[in-house]
Amino acid sequence: MPNTNAEFPERINRPTSPAPWERKETDSGGPKRPDAEAPDTKELLKKMRRVDPNQAKRYRQRTGE
Amino acid sequence: MQRTIGIETEYGITVDGAESVDVVSESIALVRSYTQAEPATQDMEMKWNYDLEDPHLDARGFRVDELLQDFDEPKYFVQDQNRKLSFQEIKSDLVLSNGARYYNDHAHPEYSTPECKSLRDIIAQDKAGERIIEECVRRRNLRQAAGTVKVYKNNTDFVGHSYGTHDNYLMDRSIPFEKVIRGLTPFLVTRQIVAGAGKVGIEGEENAPTGVFQITQRADFFSVLVSIDTMNRRPIVNTRDEPHADSEKYRRFHVIIGDANMSEMAGALKLGTTALMLDLLENNSCPMDLDLVDPIAALKFISRDPALKHVVLLANGRTISPIDIQREYLAAAQKKLRGRDDDTDWILSTWQQVLDDLERDPMLCRDRLDWVAKKWLLETFAAAENVAWDDPWLQSLDLEYHNVRREEGLYAELVREGTMRRFVTDDDIRHAIHHPPPDTRAYFRGRCVEKFAKQMTSVQWDELAFSDNGQEHVVRLLNVFDDADVRRYNEAVDNARDVETLLRSLDAVRR
Repeated sequence: MPNTNAEFPERINRPTSPAPWERKETDSGGPKRPDAEAPDTKELLKKMRRVDPNQAKRYRQRTGE
Repeated sequence: MQRTIGIETEYGITVDGAESVDVVSESIALVRSYTQAEPATQDMEMKWNYDLEDPHLDARGFRVDELLQDFDEPKYFVQDQNRKLSFQEIKSDLVLSNGARYYNDHAHPEYSTPECKSLRDIIAQDKAGERIIEECVRRRNLRQAAGTVKVYKNNTDFVGHSYGTHDNYLMDRSIPFEKVIRGLTPFLVTRQIVAGAGKVGIEGEENAPTGVFQITQRADFFSVLVSIDTMNRRPIVNTRDEPHADSEKYRRFHVIIGDANMSEMAGALKLGTTALMLDLLENNSCPMDLDLVDPIAALKFISRDPALKHVVLLANGRTISPIDIQREYLAAAQKKLRGRDDDTDWILSTWQQVLDDLERDPMLCRDRLDWVAKKWLLETFAAAENVAWDDPWLQSLDLEYHNVRREEGLYAELVREGTMRRFVTDDDIRHAIHHPPPDTRAYFRGRCVEKFAKQMTSVQWDELAFSDNGQEHVVRLLNVFDDADVRRYNEAVDNARDVETLLRSLDAVRR
């Protein structure tokens, strides 16, 4: 099956140097505080209303660890 | 951070639009879909070495004959017996080029991260697992017409079936296990106020009230203080003795009491604070005067008190809030470990801020903690739609918080709207999908898979086997943990032209 998902990276042979996991100067350097004051909930509520009210009733699993 | 850690996560799976769901075959199909791409990936298929595993060994110094997981649930016994698949085919084990293991564990796709030594790597790798499974869902749904698979990174089906998220820490074996139990039980019981994922409902109790919001998904499933079991009579402290390392020197502290975190900040705090507790234990600095009178009761009691207003009773007669128990551990860590490295300082300051905010108003933490974010979502919805807390819709929304498809999942929507703080970037996560952490033995494993998969005959966390010139050779990784050893192995695989060069440079043993 072709990988047509632009979001999911293809594996490529990577150079060993510079190590791509090293922090770049342009990195934001970790967590940021979002604007958490009085959020607009319109889109969120729209999405929540689309959730099937009975999906948890049908969701049955086997015990794991 | 100065400790090797990893997380194993079992995901829940269902099929919308199907009359009945065989979760085992769906889980197998989902895992296998990862290597059914063009161009084909080099990930290792079905070469996991089960001979090196023994989950029956107990850290208290004995071996148990039987575990529930040996048999699974009786009602599925016949169905499983009639599968025309070998054990290896049912497991469908993959070892990925990022050093992770991805396979079908009983009836759940499980992603076990590679070993990591920094918080940034472990969170990026845990999130990479979500993205890999999200991609598998997409591929499976494209290929098969029968229903739509949905996968959830949670720990319960709301009617008594739980599946695990286990965090693992390499630690000094010389620390007596009794000390581990005594020192860490109060920490693990109260860790949920930071790391719980939230749940609507109570499971496993007759006549339990409905519509209760709990801090943690898993508290209902724990009934003993210490045990080797993981599927039945689950313990707060698990004694499975599988170090995946030199058993003379190391122990793997296998924590089965955690929830699956969607929030990167909650996940980082869960892993970071637990790693610091092991540092304190190894330095003889862990608080030892916080014994709870009844740890199991306290676990459930705290989980059902999201206002965090109540106290628990200690064996010395003192009453104390779960926030203050966490504060005692925090104070010990600040005194002993502050200034050691960037990860440690981040954990200490973020932990303190979260505890301060929980004390002022738990809702202040809705941008960091899963249980608070979920509670806020449900409260917002219930108020807007005039829905009562025992309406099944809220449990369905609870489930949807954990949907790995970012187009659908409610946690993903909070991220998209910028109301959850991030700990890693999307670039970090995309990178982790194919690349192992650079500073652990996982790099050696992942790069071997990437370069030499065709000549590898078996894989385990602490051993790789290769075929070369008609002989099988084994590279043991039982003691590859300090920086110099890790560097030697990782440079060897980077520099090796072929398997023969690799084996020669590492003095591999012929089997």
